Parts: sequence; C-alpha cells; structure tokens
Amino acid sequence: MAKTILVVDDSASIRQVVGIALKGAGYDVIQACDGKDALGKMSGQKINLIISDVNMPNMDGISFLKEVKQHPKYKFTPVIMLTTEAGQGKMAEGRAAGAKAWVVKPFQPPQMLDAVAKLVLP
Amino acid sequence: MLDDTKKIFIQESEELLEQMENALLEMEQVPDDAEHLNSVFRAIHTIKGAAGIFGFDAIVAFTHPVESVMDNVRNGIRLVDPDLVALLLKCKDHTANLVESISDGQEDISEALLEAGQTLLDELNPEQKSGALDVVKNKRENIEVSDRKNASDDNWVISLDFKSDALRNGLDPLSFINYLKRMGEIVEIITFTHDFPCWEDMEPESCYLSFRIALLSSASKEEIKSVFEFAMDDCELRIIPPRSELEKYLALLEELTGEELNKLGELLIQVGALTEQELSNALQVQSSVLSDDAATQEVKPLGEILVEQHVVSKGVVDKAVEKQESIREKIAQETQYIRVDADRLGQLINLVGELVISNAAVKLLVEKHDLADVQEVVNGVEGLVENIRDHALQLRMVQIGDTFSRFRRVVRDVSKDLNKDVELVITGGEAELDKTVVEKINDPLTHLVRNSLDHGFETPEERVAQGKPKKGVLRLNALHDSGHIVIQIADDGAGLDTKKIRKKAEEKGLIYAGQELSHREILRLIFEPGLTTKDTASNISGRGVGMDVVKRNIDALRGSIEVDSERGKGTLVTIHLPLTLAIIEGFMVGVEKERFVIPLSMVEECVEMDTNEWHLDKNSHYVNLRGQVMPYIKLSEFFGVNYQHGRRGRESLVVVRVGRAKAGIVVDRLFGELQTVIKPLGKVFQGLKGVSGATVLGSGDIALILDVQGLIGLASAKASDVKTLESV
Repeated sequence: MAKTILVVDDSASIRQVVGIALKGAGYDVIQACDGKDALGKMSGQKINLIISDVNMPNMDGISFLKEVKQHPKYKFTPVIMLTTEAGQGKMAEGRAAGAKAWVVKPFQPPQMLDAVAKLVLP
Repeated sequence: MLDDTKKIFIQESEELLEQMENALLEMEQVPDDAEHLNSVFRAIHTIKGAAGIFGFDAIVAFTHPVESVMDNVRNGIRLVDPDLVALLLKCKDHTANLVESISDGQEDISEALLEAGQTLLDELNPEQKSGALDVVKNKRENIEVSDRKNASDDNWVISLDFKSDALRNGLDPLSFINYLKRMGEIVEIITFTHDFPCWEDMEPESCYLSFRIALLSSASKEEIKSVFEFAMDDCELRIIPPRSELEKYLALLEELTGEELNKLGELLIQVGALTEQELSNALQVQSSVLSDDAATQEVKPLGEILVEQHVVSKGVVDKAVEKQESIREKIAQETQYIRVDADRLGQLINLVGELVISNAAVKLLVEKHDLADVQEVVNGVEGLVENIRDHALQLRMVQIGDTFSRFRRVVRDVSKDLNKDVELVITGGEAELDKTVVEKINDPLTHLVRNSLDHGFETPEERVAQGKPKKGVLRLNALHDSGHIVIQIADDGAGLDTKKIRKKAEEKGLIYAGQELSHREILRLIFEPGLTTKDTASNISGRGVGMDVVKRNIDALRGSIEVDSERGKGTLVTIHLPLTLAIIEGFMVGVEKERFVIPLSMVEECVEMDTNEWHLDKNSHYVNLRGQVMPYIKLSEFFGVNYQHGRRGRESLVVVRVGRAKAGIVVDRLFGELQTVIKPLGKVFQGLKGVSGATVLGSGDIALILDVQGLIGLASAKASDVKTLESV
C-alpha cells in the first residue's frame, strides 16, 4: 500500500510541485494550506510523513508541529520542515519541537525525494 | 582498519559473553526460565553474526553448533540438565579464548585451540559424534566463509546503534537501511537485539535495535554518512572504511602535493577519510578540554582524539601527520626569503584596504542602478580583492614561535637568579599573527613570564614539601580561535592567594570591606593599578606596576586578558588577540542615522525585539535572554543620539563576547556583515571610551568601530553598581 504524505504549505505552487514529485515517486499525497487546515484534514487518516512549511497564516509550522507531537495518533510521525529560513534559531526551534529534517527552499524535487526516502519506506 | 573492527568486535563479544555466563549461572538454579534461555541464545547468536560480518571464521564455525543446541533447548527438543549447563559454560569459555586469541593479534587460531573446540562440540552433540566435523565443515561452506573473508576486507562496516527515543522521534530504522541500498550493495546485515530487556520491562515505543551492516560501495564516507543525516541525534553511528578505501586514503595522502601547509583535519577531509561533522565534533572535544578551568593542562592532539573516537584509524592519522611533516620540511626547504621594508608592506596593506572600500562602493552603485550584467563582474572582482587582501595580510604574518623561544633564556636566567628550578614548555609556536601584534605582545609577555617565575613558582624545597615534582613547568601555548589568537601562560606553581589579594584591595580602597565578590572577580583585581601581593619588591617584579600595564597593553591591541588560578595548583593567564590590526570583519548596526561596526569575531548572536526572547530590566541594568542574564548597553543612550522623528519601536540585541565576558548591545537596526579597514582615530579622540576606530563605508559615510571590550566593561560596571547599591 502506498504511503501517505501530508504536505502543508500556504503556497499553492509549492504544494503542486511537491505533490507532483511525491506522486511520481509513488506516494499518496494529502495537501493542506496551513496548520489548522492540516489538522482537520489528517484526522482519521493514516499519515506516514508530514512535510510542512514554517511561515503560514492561521497556524504556523512550528505550532502545527507542536500540535502534531501532542496528538496520540500522530506523535511519532516524522516531519520535514520546508522553508526559506535556514536560520539557526528557527532550526533549533524546529528541532526542539520535533522536526527531523529540514529542506531549504528553493530546492530541486530530487533533493526533496531524497529526504523523504530516508524517513519513510517506499 | 582491522584494528578498529577488531576492537569493536572484541568489546561487544566480551560484554555478550558476560551476559551469557550470568544467564547460564541463573539457569543452573532455575533451569526452565525462558528469559535466561533466550538470553544465552541471543548472546551466542549475536556473536556468531558479528564474527561473520567481521570475517572471523573460526568463531563462526564454533558458535554455530552451539547456537543450534541452544535453539533446540529453547524449543524444548533438548532438556536442560546440570551437565549441559556445565558444558555450555565451557563453550562460553572457549568462545572467550577464541576472541582473546584475535585480540592478541593472531591471524590463525592455533591447532590446540581448534582441537579443544572440536572436543567440546563432540561432547555437545554426542549422537552426531562421527559427523560433527563434517557438520562444522558444511556450515562453513554454507555461510561462504571464504567469500566473506575477502569481502569483509572490501566492505564498509557501518555500526548503527539507535537510541531508545528513535521511534518516538519519528524515525524508522528500516527506511534508512533501505535508503542505504542506493549507495551500494548491502552484503550482510546483523540486527543486534541484546539490548532488549525482559518482556515486562520492554516499552513498545522504545527502540532497542542496533545494526552492523557490511556495505559494498564506491561511495565516499561523507556520502554514506549523509544517509543517516536525519538520524544523527538519535543514533550512534560509526563508519569503518574498507581496506581498499584505506589504501586509497594512504595513496591520496601520498599523492597530495604540498604547496600549502594544511591542518591535519583538512588533510584528512581532503582525501575523504574524515567528514566535516566528525572533524567539528572532534574539535569540540578538543576545545572543551581546553576551556576546563584546570590551570595546567595539555591540549590533546587532534589525531589522538580522532583515533580514540574510532573515526579514523591510527594508520591513516600517522600517515597524514607524516605527510604534514614532509610538506612542512619541503616548504622550509623551498621557501626563499626576500627582505622587504616593513613600511612598504604597510603601504600595500593600506592600499588593499582602500581597494576593499572602493569595491564596496562599486557594489553599492551596481545594486542601486540594478546593473545585472555588471553584477557578475563585480562579484568576480570582489573575490579577487578578498584574495589579494588575504595574501597581503599573510605577508605580514609571522609565527609566534620565535617570540616564545626568546623566553627560554629569560626563564633560564631568572629562575637561576631566584634559585628556582623551572622548565619552559612551548607549544603551538606555529600559530601565526600580524607582525605588528607580535611586536607589541613581547613586553606584556615578558611581564607575565617574570611574574610567574617570581611569584608563581615555589622554591624546589617548598615544592618537594608539598609533594609536587621538584621541577616546575611553565607553559607557553598559542592557538587560533575564531579569528583570534589565544596565548596561554600556565604555571604549576603556588597559584594566587585570593585572601591576600582581597586584603590588599581593601587596603588600597579598591573594594569595600566585606564586598561580595566571586572567585573570578577577586582574581581580576590583580589587573587594578597599584595592587601587589608580594610584601617585598624585587628587581624582577612586585612593585605593583605590572599587571595593570599588561592589561592596558593588551586592551590597546583590542585583545582581552583573563586569569585563572587555584591555590597550590597553579595559574593560567589567557590572552585573546586579534590576528591583525589593519582590517576587521565587522557586523554593522545602526542607531537612528548613525552606523557602528562591531568586530564580527566578538558577535555571538543577534536577536530581534519582537521575538520575545529577551527583555530589559532597566532598573538593574540587565538583559534577560532566554533565561541567560547579562549586562547591556543601549547605544542610543550611550552616544546620546537624537531622534528626529521619535523613537523607532523595534530594537535588536547584539550579544557580544570577549573571552568569558558577555554583554548585550541594544541597537535600532541590524545591517549585516562587512569587512572594513580600520582607520585609527586622531590624537584628540584617542581617550574616547567605547570607540576603537573608524571606517569609511562604501557609500562614503563614516562608521565608528566599537570597542567591545570597553563597552562590556562599562556595561558590567553599570550593572554591578546597581547591584551593589541594592545590596547595601
């Protein structure tokens, strides 16, 4: 069964690029446009990996991550942060909140797929 | 390589054998306990597996039948009786002997040992007695021992121990191993389960797995390491290169043409034996030893640390060191000197400085007019200018070793005069710094060395009475630390008497009687003018005009000095100095329209106001940054800047550090890094506090270069004033 990846980003184009790349690699993809939206869309679903932006309206990536890590069903789900901010401070914050990997925009799809492949089995 | 793999295997096997023995002894008491049975089985199984991966056939051949017997016992086919337990204990001992013979470095297991093993196996399987040897032989063939032996030399061996939180942190060990397949062929993989606790204690969310993976791959160490990049926090990773790779490193090291003298770590990275991260880890270990408070300590060579951490094998490190030596010799042979007038060099450096500024101006204009096609050229020029600047500065760099060597005579003569027995040990003499700095450091160093000889060291009789070696050791050490040179003068003498310093300081009115001071603060008092603890002045030191002058000299070089001492153990004086006085890498900040430059090497971090990470305590003049308290200074208040359109709401905090002292500087805007030429201030302004120079920006504006050292001092004084008032 294909693994399901949740992609959270407020930019529709980024979601599309990531979505196409992941689908091409054989993953199922759920898209959400911010943290709140994501929490709603993931409930009840089996999620194998989350890819999330940091700066988003309504609920930003770090808060979203914290929510996920609280959630009984999803607390062990690996999270890749996707962002333009490669600042040490943000990274440390993300790490502390439980993000495993960090992909800095702009990125090439193979880069993204590499990171994904390290965290979930195909 | 064999040494490293051996060590890992031997260490693990010894632990496992101990577990096995304990479990066997328990079995003697309670024969049917499944947990103990499993424990014995797991131990022997893991040893067999590991021996296979590392290519130790004899151990595989012996442990395999033992494992089969244990499997039968576990499945109830064979019953446990005292005889069997006794036999298994003997098997355990025999395995230990085999392991030991490997650790002794014997390539082949002796006949006697093999025979003893065979006898044990025969006893273990009486009904198969006649065929036992064949069974062993067959097994040998089944596991293709001979093949693997060859392969094991050519495989990467990856030891991957996941920490118990790995699963909870969202990691799936399998996915990494799966990804590893992209790097090459996984020849063999052994899963270690010996960390599994008994079932009652097992937490299903915890990870108890370790893996040993033999990987056939042409990837580099860095590439293999990158597979586990996301798991770094949650696993212990060791990557041992195959023998062929090892030979490659050695060959590459041999081939390296030495035009420049590289550091050991750089050499190893260059040939791929070391990854960047491993190097920075090792350097961290090295510097953490360094920052320990002990007054007399030696810096461990990087190579030793790397070997200890099993990151690089000793052979490779030795080779690299050898190479380093030969390059050094070669350079020494080839180098020819041209004597150049120092003034001419000074002019050149000045001109290069102007060039840096002009280039910045051009860059500004290009950006302003958005000249995309010029941009590229300008960037190219910038790279060249930086190169020229580095080389120009390099011209004036000299090794500090010569300066240090001069003290051999000083130490010899002075200690003779004083009837003391002191040996001078010099390390780090190859550290380089600007000639102008070297010239100015000579006097302060002489002061410090003489001080140490006079006050620091006890007479040989006193030393012997205190149980110290008769000969005292004075160490001069130099090293580079983030754009600074650090000079350490350490003695193993009597150390400073804080009570005496306190008393003197009270007598001189430097502190109130009973004022609360930390150990460090008391030590710092020795840099105050007029303080000497020696009751009689000698012609060498003791007039109390020493340490304050030393401090002033160092301050003038934009450096810092710290003292650390333990009574009876010794004293360590640490001096931080900038490498050059001509050009600095700066961080530009702004207050209203004014621009200031903070030397980048002193900047720890910058935090914006709105992050809520820091707040000012205006009453006690402290800033609280994520729970860390430090004094601060507000540039706008300090320089009395007039705001024309009222205050801007958003402020930022720049955390600066000199040595161990930290302080916050509150500014309105952060502009970022720039490199700039220091223009000294005119005579009229030289007494100014908080400013050490000025510079012309690309835009033609003038920015003041902040004297961070002085600012920290002022900020702490302000903060402690308040503190003292409050405590009164």
